[in-house]
Amino acid sequence: MFARIIEEAPTFFTYYNGLLLMEAMAATFMLSAVGCVIGFGAGFFLAVARRTTSLGLLPLRVSTFGFVEAFRRIPFLVTLMLVFFIFEIVKIDISLFSVALISVCLIATAFIAEIIRGGLESVHQTQWDTAAAMNFSLAQTLIYVIMPQAWKIILPPVFSFFILFIKDTALASQIGVVELTYAGKILNNKGFSAALVFGSILVLYFVISYPLARFGVWMESRLASSRNR
Amino acid sequence: MDYVFQFGQVVDYLPYLVGGAWLSLQIAFLAFCGGMVIGLFGAMAKTFGGPVLRGTANAYVTFLTNTPQLVQIYFLFFALPDAGILMSPYQAVLLGMTLNAGAYLTEIQRAGFETVHRNEMEAAETLGMNLWQRVRYVILPHIARVLFPPLSNQYILMTLGTSMAAIFGVEELTGRAFNVNAETFRAIEVFSLTAGIYIVVTLVATVILGLLGRFLFRAKMRMI
Repeated sequence: MFARIIEEAPTFFTYYNGLLLMEAMAATFMLSAVGCVIGFGAGFFLAVARRTTSLGLLPLRVSTFGFVEAFRRIPFLVTLMLVFFIFEIVKIDISLFSVALISVCLIATAFIAEIIRGGLESVHQTQWDTAAAMNFSLAQTLIYVIMPQAWKIILPPVFSFFILFIKDTALASQIGVVELTYAGKILNNKGFSAALVFGSILVLYFVISYPLARFGVWMESRLASSRNR
Repeated sequence: MDYVFQFGQVVDYLPYLVGGAWLSLQIAFLAFCGGMVIGLFGAMAKTFGGPVLRGTANAYVTFLTNTPQLVQIYFLFFALPDAGILMSPYQAVLLGMTLNAGAYLTEIQRAGFETVHRNEMEAAETLGMNLWQRVRYVILPHIARVLFPPLSNQYILMTLGTSMAAIFGVEELTGRAFNVNAETFRAIEVFSLTAGIYIVVTLVATVILGLLGRFLFRAKMRMI
């Protein structure tokens, strides 16, 4: 195995293979980053929707609950296939990357909504009641009272979810999105040994994920210490 | 949209799909048990080990938690034959999932080890317990209750993770869904039915684990 890796290494580490891998790496990063940003926005909306109390918004609460619970329990691969085939039958021609992006957003929304809900609930009920007593609207309550306290609790798990998600996007290779795993399959099909190719792919994922994970740990410790002060 | 939904054709395959779900649960269970054993030794190495053991455990956890499970299984399945190790898809998936779970469970159990109070450890030491006895009689009973909710959460996530096995041709739930799709060409129906089965299976698992936690450890768990 090692003799073959050493033999193939000069032909493997060429400019164009490197270019392919770099572009694939960018695609992987984009998928998870865009997914998480959109997921954060939508998830925030869903989490707030579940805090509403008026009777008229009951259908919204129920559907939000259903959406979050359902998509947290469907594997990413199945979501990917569902989105893929739904776009096929409604005959909208979109790129494979967009299909993957939409499924990523769906899953991220469901998971992040749950994280944010936890964060909002971590703020004591009296704070909500006080804001209501001061006649704050829901938006004002969130902006001036809840979020300044909750963001420290929300941010670390959202960030670690983002890192977890970078690795889940590897499944997007199954519908043919050219991201890191798919680039590995391409190179493997070109005849390079699997050990060399997938070893490099593993290292590249590690290169993306590890610094972010370290940053996440650092951020968590900083936010935690400032909260205890 | 002029698509006509036809579930009738797909519903005939329901027993076949449910059989796949059973296999999914089996894979998740085996990988979880293997991962727990690896995780226990990993956590022991990280807490009590010398620099070499600790370094090894750290490297293992850092590398496996920072790379995708799918690519790890690719590596096991496609690269190891070069070194003369041939595995069936089922074995490769099981080994990959076990190693990956081992890394995550090491971290979870290490966090549990840290919740054990120093005094308890010192008391155990004074009683002349060796390392294994300390882990078995002091730490494990103590952390079982604390760790039950995160561990059952991890188990549910692993059940979803088994869908990855389909890519390697293991006929678990997603793999069988691919088969049914290839036979009937009713993609939406097949995959929405599959999604439904996953939801039901994980819901049932959550409820069972929640009840188990309540009776065994009186652990508060969020039901559903």
